[in-house]
Amino acid sequence: MSWHGVRTIAALELRQRIRTSRWPIVLVVWVVLIGLVTFLAYWATNDPDLRSGEAMYDIVIFFVLGLSMLIVPSLTATSVNGDREHGVLATLQTTLLSPWDIALGKLLAAWTISVAFLASSLPFLAWAWVEGGISAGHIVLSLLVLVLVLAVVCAIGLMFSTLTARPVASAVLTYLTMGALVFGTTIGFGLSAFLVTQEETQQVYGIPESWYEQHQPPDVDPADPNLTPEQLEEIKKAQTGPTRADCTTFTRRASVAHTERIWWMLPLNPFVVVADAAPSQPRKVNGYYASGFTPMRWISGGSRMARNGPDDGVKQECDNYVGDGGSGNESDYVDPFDAAQRTAPVWPVGLGFLLLAGVGAAVVAGQRLRTPIRRLPNGTRIA
Amino acid sequence: MSIEVQGVRRAFGDVLAVDSISLTAEPGEVTALIGPNGSGKTTLLLMLATLLVPDQGQIRIDGLDPVSQPTEVRARIGWMPDGFGTWDALTVREVLHTIAAAYRIPPDRARARTDELLATVHLEDLGDRRARVLSRGQKQRLGLARALINDPSVLLLDEPASGLDPRSRIELRDVLRSLAAQGKTVLVSSHILTELQEVADRAIIVARGRSLETQSLDSDFVATGVASWRIDSLDPQPLASWLEEHHVPANRVGGGLTEVEVAGEENAARLLADLVRVGIRVIAFTPSQGALESAYLAATEDRR
Repeated sequence: MSWHGVRTIAALELRQRIRTSRWPIVLVVWVVLIGLVTFLAYWATNDPDLRSGEAMYDIVIFFVLGLSMLIVPSLTATSVNGDREHGVLATLQTTLLSPWDIALGKLLAAWTISVAFLASSLPFLAWAWVEGGISAGHIVLSLLVLVLVLAVVCAIGLMFSTLTARPVASAVLTYLTMGALVFGTTIGFGLSAFLVTQEETQQVYGIPESWYEQHQPPDVDPADPNLTPEQLEEIKKAQTGPTRADCTTFTRRASVAHTERIWWMLPLNPFVVVADAAPSQPRKVNGYYASGFTPMRWISGGSRMARNGPDDGVKQECDNYVGDGGSGNESDYVDPFDAAQRTAPVWPVGLGFLLLAGVGAAVVAGQRLRTPIRRLPNGTRIA
Repeated sequence: MSIEVQGVRRAFGDVLAVDSISLTAEPGEVTALIGPNGSGKTTLLLMLATLLVPDQGQIRIDGLDPVSQPTEVRARIGWMPDGFGTWDALTVREVLHTIAAAYRIPPDRARARTDELLATVHLEDLGDRRARVLSRGQKQRLGLARALINDPSVLLLDEPASGLDPRSRIELRDVLRSLAAQGKTVLVSSHILTELQEVADRAIIVARGRSLETQSLDSDFVATGVASWRIDSLDPQPLASWLEEHHVPANRVGGGLTEVEVAGEENAARLLADLVRVGIRVIAFTPSQGALESAYLAATEDRR
């Protein structure tokens, strides 16, 4: 393998892409679509009290990721078996190029194009940044993660194009893999949540059931003038809410979902990786938390909550049921998403898995381009 | 710089493409590989071109093994596949520059070599056109230039003449002869026997994945090989009876012509003299099949 060889193949691939007229059109459609989505996001979330930068940023990043997962596989998914069909692969394999030159050259070319697509969405991310609420560091980190995810998508497409004889088959397999990563992991998590849900005894600090039983309204008509003083006392008791003083620690049986056993499915999803890498931070506007529409923050917080699993300690429910009679005030309230986001991120796990899959795919592709070939799969032609 | 193939065998699944082929191609010679469709010629060339591993047998190109030393072999060979595909979006010149880069030829030398080769294959005026617009014959010529870019000492050409117009065929013949004259080993597979006879020094006949015989195509072979001759005569009846009397294998072909099998030019001349002497009025006496064609038909006869 040599840089010269990789560059030769990458230059050949890029030159062919640029010469075929479809790609400039796709790029224009891409920019127009992202522009449209950015404008819509701006109008939908523009509020004088809320700066819409976060929402715009989340929408644009997710849209770019979704759209590139549709476009990028087509850059590599037919690249090797398509070349075989056109009879131009073997003429390169009989030169001094190594199989790694060919595999990495094709990968580099496809990656360059997908990074170019990503770069064309930069003005819209810059707009989100100007709108405020999101730091440049966040944008850089998401872009970095996106660039790596796109490289992995390219490598997976390349691998399938070396594994199947027909370009249609490899394109279908690549899109199925994308579908499995995006939807399969989510569906898998949702369905297996039932498997890890069980009845457990749980310690709770709050208002016990017995309190409510003691404060049942009596089975009498309150308008009846012939009530005894005991009955009137019971009616009065039933009308008051519980106070902080009524909170005790008690145990109860409840169904608990042990998502900490299945959380690993979530970060395999590229959307979770990108969302968790740089979610927007909640901030206070006029003394109130105002996060607006921030899907990346929700996904990020949700996956970290799933990873953390149910709390082992005493469940604090006192504040939920006690009215304003207690000492609880706004500053004591902790947003569960916010709490989850203070725990360790899950994206390194997901990105690690994706990078491992990408490297594995590239290695398979390089192996499959080796010549002389000993075993030729059915229906494959060499030249 | 020779090619040596010893008992090579290659199967694809349960299809036996090459059963047992052995051959030798010497430097300074053009060796022809002839055989019917599906006889294993292309598969053999793929193995020689370091693309396929033989199941059995040995291949040596300039003493090197294409399986264990593919890079060394690749530096020495030029391979022109049958049905040459090309990068349609690139110009003819760019195609050759790309291949030169793949052989790690420095850009300035690649440019000089490209111009030289475009002149050799008469594509100079198409150099800056897209490869897509080339006709089949022009693509074949580009394929030949591509195979020559690294100045190989061993040339493997799979059906180089298919799709070529008559002038290009004659030019191809001259190119092959001059390459052989430079001491290169040239192995050509083809169906077009009459042309091979003119360009090849040696012919290897293959059928059903086996090499049947090696025929040297020097002047001796032409002088002694069994060939068919066509006789047109004003006296067809006496001609037929005379031939029968003298046990000359003959049969009637269309247009009142008689075809006879004669071994060597010497005997053909004697037959003509005899016919004239007995008073049969011969108006035409011409060879109908080249000696190579006869040898090929004889060798592959079991197909019928």
